[in-house]
Amino acid sequence: MDSKDKKSSTDYCETEICVEEAPAAPTPMGWKELYLKEDWWAIYLGIGLMLVTLIAFLLGSNVIKVLVINPGGVKWTSFGQLLGHFKQNIHLYLLQLLVWLVIFGVSTKIMGIKLSQFLPSFIVLYILSVIMFSISGWANAARYNLEPPLVALILGLILANIVPLPKWLDSGFRVEYYIKTGIVLLGATFPLTLIATAGPIALLQATIISVTTCLVIYFAATKLFGLDKRLAAVIGVGGSVCGVSASMAIASSVKAKKEDLYTSVTLVVVWALVMIIVLPFISKLLNLAPGVAGAWIGTSEFADAAGFAAASAYGKMAGNESAAIQGFTLMKVIGRDMWIGIWSFVFAMIACLKWEKEECGVRPSAMEIWWRFPKFVIGFFLATFLMTTVTAGYATAAFNSSVKPNLIAPLVSFRSWIFIFCFLSIGLSTRFRELKAAGWKPFGAFSIGVAVNVVLGFLLSVFIFGGYWSALGK
Amino acid sequence: MAANKLKHHCLKCKFFNNEPELVEQTFPGLTALSSAYASVRADAGICSRHELFLAPWAQCRDFQVKQ
Repeated sequence: MDSKDKKSSTDYCETEICVEEAPAAPTPMGWKELYLKEDWWAIYLGIGLMLVTLIAFLLGSNVIKVLVINPGGVKWTSFGQLLGHFKQNIHLYLLQLLVWLVIFGVSTKIMGIKLSQFLPSFIVLYILSVIMFSISGWANAARYNLEPPLVALILGLILANIVPLPKWLDSGFRVEYYIKTGIVLLGATFPLTLIATAGPIALLQATIISVTTCLVIYFAATKLFGLDKRLAAVIGVGGSVCGVSASMAIASSVKAKKEDLYTSVTLVVVWALVMIIVLPFISKLLNLAPGVAGAWIGTSEFADAAGFAAASAYGKMAGNESAAIQGFTLMKVIGRDMWIGIWSFVFAMIACLKWEKEECGVRPSAMEIWWRFPKFVIGFFLATFLMTTVTAGYATAAFNSSVKPNLIAPLVSFRSWIFIFCFLSIGLSTRFRELKAAGWKPFGAFSIGVAVNVVLGFLLSVFIFGGYWSALGK
Repeated sequence: MAANKLKHHCLKCKFFNNEPELVEQTFPGLTALSSAYASVRADAGICSRHELFLAPWAQCRDFQVKQ
């Protein structure tokens, strides 16, 4: 078959001219995304919980304050005291469990997750979360660094890797869904002025780090270790932008092999777990201001869930969780996550026009930037805007005496529950024996990037922009 | 043939599967820090013929209509 015949018998574009004639990429899912993607559900749940709390506050009702009960504030010194708390409030915990089961159960069912597996799995997760809060509610917990994020992660890892948990239990361990919902709720307590003032600095720092780290990993992988450029791109963006999520986006943009994504998943998960444990303790050793540590973690952690665990843990150690969370959020969510679509589009263009210009099937569409946009970020901004607008009319004294305890505190408590679901789920869904071997060359390239990322992130967070980050939370 | 050429994408190919449950099962560890239900995936899936992870709008000469 000559080339002409070959071309006429296929729908495949084989020349640059053909690429020019090819249609823009079709819309992948359309409106269905609104109920099939967890990003949108995170917005609905986050904003929904915020509105319900707001209505209760405006009506002067205590129902939400009662509903968000957790044993973390008990500060118990004996088991009897803790048991007494549960005996007294068992009906509230059961009601709370029911509310979580309904909102997460219905939404995951609509997304296509089996309810028969999700419900028992979530009940297990809830019971473990109660145990986590109970540990953090021990009067001496802080003395032994028993920070809930770290304890949850480690307990989850132990259970997942030692106890033979059935695989179907994973249905309830929805790390990404929980962290996205938590981030939307975080928006409700995030000052809009902070985004306006520190957002551009975060964006600048995050861009410097992301571009540098990605290039370092890419060139180390291709030039130093002789790896395939698609694999280099997948692990490069995974190590510099947003971990596994970014790797998925880039892998599909450049038509990477399945093995490339396996490799990136393993590298990101292993290094992210190391960072969760190491970064808070190094920050403590160096006595970093919580905002500075949050910014550093925001540039050095790959995944949102892992980074929030590390930032939250150090914030609690340093006595100012809010500042660490703010620094992390500015750097990671605003500085890095939002730009995944642009990275994907750029790599799709490179792959199409440079790597495979003789066989590029379809012209990359700029719409890919929107299709891959992490939509939950919209919810974060929406919550920030709504809450800032609602509370703008309160004087400082009224804000502190009324809004903080009756509106902000319940929202923070909702967020704490969802974050603990997330931190436990990280550990519970990480089974080291199931991870595919990455190979020492990808590991080497990725690790070089991690080293550059951590050092450069530290220099920028502490010395170059330290003035901005140390002011957070004051 | 030009009209046909413009129609076919992996989304409709029998070798392409982008069910989120399958994507999560295929890549162990993916759910530890990410999810196949995330917007960033944009319905990317797995090509069982070429063992690739690709977007639903990709194209290939081995396209065969999904029944």
